[in-house]
Amino acid sequence: MNIILRELRASIKSMAIWCGVFTVLIFMYMSEFSAYANNEEMLAVLDGMPEAMLEAFQMNSFNLTTLTGFYGILFTYFILMLSIHAILKGNSIISKEERDRTVEFTLVLPIKRSKVVIGKLIAVIINCIIIDVFLYGIILFSIQSYLPEENFMEFLLLLFASTFIMQMLFLSLGIMFGCAMKQYKRSGYLGISIILISYVLSIVSGLSKKLEFLKYITPFKFFDTAVIKNEMALDWKYILISFTIIVICLTIGLITYKKRDLYI
Amino acid sequence: MNIYKREIKDKLKSTIVWSISIFALIMLFMSIFPVFSRDATTLKLMMDNYPEEMLKAFGMSGVDLGSVAGYFTMTLLFTQICLAIQASNYGFSILSLEERELTADFLLTKPVTRTKIFFSKFAAAFTALTITNVATWGSTYLSIEMFRNGKDYDIDIFIKMMATIVLFQLFFLGVGMVISMLVKKVKSVLTFSMSLSFGMYILSAFGSIIGEDTLGYITPFKYFEPNTLIINGAYDRTMIYVCITVIVVSLLASYILYNKRNIHSAN
Repeated sequence: MNIILRELRASIKSMAIWCGVFTVLIFMYMSEFSAYANNEEMLAVLDGMPEAMLEAFQMNSFNLTTLTGFYGILFTYFILMLSIHAILKGNSIISKEERDRTVEFTLVLPIKRSKVVIGKLIAVIINCIIIDVFLYGIILFSIQSYLPEENFMEFLLLLFASTFIMQMLFLSLGIMFGCAMKQYKRSGYLGISIILISYVLSIVSGLSKKLEFLKYITPFKFFDTAVIKNEMALDWKYILISFTIIVICLTIGLITYKKRDLYI
Repeated sequence: MNIYKREIKDKLKSTIVWSISIFALIMLFMSIFPVFSRDATTLKLMMDNYPEEMLKAFGMSGVDLGSVAGYFTMTLLFTQICLAIQASNYGFSILSLEERELTADFLLTKPVTRTKIFFSKFAAAFTALTITNVATWGSTYLSIEMFRNGKDYDIDIFIKMMATIVLFQLFFLGVGMVISMLVKKVKSVLTFSMSLSFGMYILSAFGSIIGEDTLGYITPFKYFEPNTLIINGAYDRTMIYVCITVIVVSLLASYILYNKRNIHSAN
């Protein structure tokens, strides 16, 4: 319990910065959106285009003149940002003890190492939830003056659900690297490489039909916002894959941290 | 000179890893080009039937993704992300590293001026970045020759696109250095450098979707946007001046701040 509180207090500043950044971003983009909202001309242009072309540019799924379309596109970037946050946070919450040379102190406390890791894990999860809830609130506030489409609320909730799963996925990867790698510096870089590689693969997989199989490898394609919009549901297959990865990573993290030599 | 050598040795491994990653990235993207260009030709025919304004509204005008240069802009974007992360990593770490690793007392009690330390470190980081830059040029040339599929391309436009890399790297290096001097302590280099590089990328990416232009003055991803370069055939002068100003100011400021800085010592 003390660990959770201690970690939460330590991360207040970074949480505040994240919330601030999202507030600025949302308001900046919403002011831009006001020009698009229900713009008849834009809609007319869209209506005049042939189906095949809209398909090719994914504009079928996202019509920028609607809240659904606008947030659908925004969220691809939000998910990227929050995934980076999650993997770095998960990694640093474990490895910072070694970086700041406080690991000798923490680990001689009369608690098990596994308890330390679990306490930290809970603290980061709370961290992620707070940011998500804040973001949700800001979005609700920002759309006040618009009339959302019928199922926009449902769509938004699904977006948040997928964001949360992605956060947990990258968080557990980060924790695993932090626990398992001997050098704290390398574990951070490994986390970043994973993010970069999966992001690049998610882009590459859209370039050609032959590369579509990549969508099973890169988490950024697990919950494609365009698919969420069309189906109005998250794909169970990918929820299952994510869940398995989370469990495996956390188990590996807990086991290795128990046994490992510390870098002092 | 000793400091320079020491720093280069320190950076060598990471420079090699970055160069290899960028090589792999470029190869991966360009290897899809032959398949992609075949699909893109039909797309191009279709797009020709539509009025220019309409295409512009969706950012589809000008650049033909089926051409070598048009497709390469996409590759270059991801290369830029990698280069940005590398440069801001170096920027945030070179001056703050000694304080974090508690080696500042050792270094600063040596009979060298801080000015000398600053310039040696900067020169070392810049050398490392230049090595990666050269590797990027090499990989680009190689990948194009391998995968261009007999299509012609305009070498001028490629040289223009690639020539901006050095300014791009200096931007992130300089801004990283000055921020690391402005804050009390850089606890985690990665957090800072990821926020800077990915933040800039996201600002630029979303900005181009919704057609927001004013923010372009903040992010280097917009200064040298390859699409605009291909369409106009020339750089955007104002953007280049903005970029050079930012670089000069940030380097000067970090030099002054480093010379005045209170260094926390180990105890």
